[in-house]
Amino acid sequence: MNVGAFEAFTLVVRRELCLSFRRPDQLLQPLVFFLIVTTLFPLGLSLQLSLLRDMAPGVLWVAALLSSLLSLDSLFKSDADDGTLEQLALCGQGLTVIVVAKTIAHWLVTGAALVLVSPVVGTALGIPGSAFATMMLSLGVGTLTLSWLGAIGAGLTVGLRRGNVLLSLIVLPLAMPLLIFGAGATDRAVSGGSPAGALYFLAALCVFTCTLAPFAATMALRITLE
Amino acid sequence: MWTWFYKLASPPYVYGAAAALTPWFLGLAAITMGYGLVAGLVFAPPDYQQGDAFRIIYVHAPSAWMSLFAYTSMAIAGGIALIWRIKMGHAVAAASAPIGASFTLLALFTGSLWGRPMWGTYWAWDPRLTSELILLFLYVGVMSLRSAFEDPARGDRAAALLGLVGLVNVPIIHYSVLWWNSLHQGATVAKLGKPSMPGSMLWPLLSMLLGFMLFYGAVLCVRLRGEVLNRERQAKWVREAIKS
Amino acid sequence: MGAGGDQIVMGNGFWSMGGYARYVWPCFAFTCLVLAWNLWSANRYYVAARLRARRALAAALAAGEEQ
Repeated sequence: MNVGAFEAFTLVVRRELCLSFRRPDQLLQPLVFFLIVTTLFPLGLSLQLSLLRDMAPGVLWVAALLSSLLSLDSLFKSDADDGTLEQLALCGQGLTVIVVAKTIAHWLVTGAALVLVSPVVGTALGIPGSAFATMMLSLGVGTLTLSWLGAIGAGLTVGLRRGNVLLSLIVLPLAMPLLIFGAGATDRAVSGGSPAGALYFLAALCVFTCTLAPFAATMALRITLE
Repeated sequence: MWTWFYKLASPPYVYGAAAALTPWFLGLAAITMGYGLVAGLVFAPPDYQQGDAFRIIYVHAPSAWMSLFAYTSMAIAGGIALIWRIKMGHAVAAASAPIGASFTLLALFTGSLWGRPMWGTYWAWDPRLTSELILLFLYVGVMSLRSAFEDPARGDRAAALLGLVGLVNVPIIHYSVLWWNSLHQGATVAKLGKPSMPGSMLWPLLSMLLGFMLFYGAVLCVRLRGEVLNRERQAKWVREAIKS
Repeated sequence: MGAGGDQIVMGNGFWSMGGYARYVWPCFAFTCLVLAWNLWSANRYYVAARLRARRALAAALAAGEEQ
């Protein structure tokens, strides 16, 4: 990667982060959604802490997937609507750099933020402190992979008026392996086993997706925008 | 060198070939499925473990196989269309999707009905059935994405890309579900696959498999003709073809 | 459908499927239904496309005559 591409990358990431922090309410919305969904489960079940602890990894992961998905709809939408995306694509560094930068920025404000909040939610759900490291690691890797899958979906649905439901329909089936390995790793850590196997799978999925998804997402944007 | 390829991909040729092939596919499908049904339901002996319930395999296994086969051919046809800009690939992909989705639904239905006497429940989160369910979601996603665009050409290309992404994911999903199932040893799942099947049971199964593939070919040809007509409505050869 | 026990009784009649008639026959019936739906819907799709192409042709011819 030459200097120009890297500069473009950092500039777009900084722009995205700057825009996000200028609207803190939108920054907080996925996190609050994450908290609300995890609150729903104990209320909907019963207050048996043992039952709750058994279900906690799954609940945590489903809530993380949903809240991360919630903000994906706007990944390219506003920039595509006002033409910024086309201008960025014309800057000479190619659309892929822009897509990578925007996706990384999206992960930083949703996925990484979820990781930081997860110990609070984990404590409320009865996950022991010894499992926090695994939980946060798996959430971090998993949400990064999800951001990439979501970038493909967001690219495919960016031109559609009611693309939000369709986006979930497209991305959630693809994200099921993440849920299996992510919740599996956390589950192992909670029950005292070794989460290494699931974490390796999760890392492999992440590397695989990070390698191929940028090109798929770029192609998706080309299809829907050009 | 590539002229045969382009001839193969030209709409009038596809339209004509599909029309010519349909009766052959249908006839051969009727013969092989007829033999498979009679031999499988009447002549094959009951399984020593599952009794006569094993006969569900004669519709379950072919439909499960076809659901994957139709998805793969849909994704590959879409990929060819996307890379080499061959319009007929999109037509094949669009024609293949609803057939494959219906076979997936059939595999799910027969699988859960088979599960009732074998596992004692209709749905056991068996890895194969779970992957099949996710495959159905993938089909639904591809089909709704295609129809969501007002511009059909754009919908075609978007669906082709999603089909390819799904194709890469199908083995990942399958193995992750297998891993997940080995982790949660909740329901004891009876092993449905036979290590060795006597010929009287195997031949009807292979015949049904072939019959399902031929049937898929026949339905694909009919749908394909519709897709070609929809895409080439303004072409001169279409006007010649539908005058008669 | 014959009434068969859960045990496998040979010669209990073809339709009872050794007691599994409740599961075997709906599977085959649903299969027939899906196969028939495929044929029907494919044919309907083709006929509709043909009709649409004919209409487009007729409209084009009418427009040509007016000119």
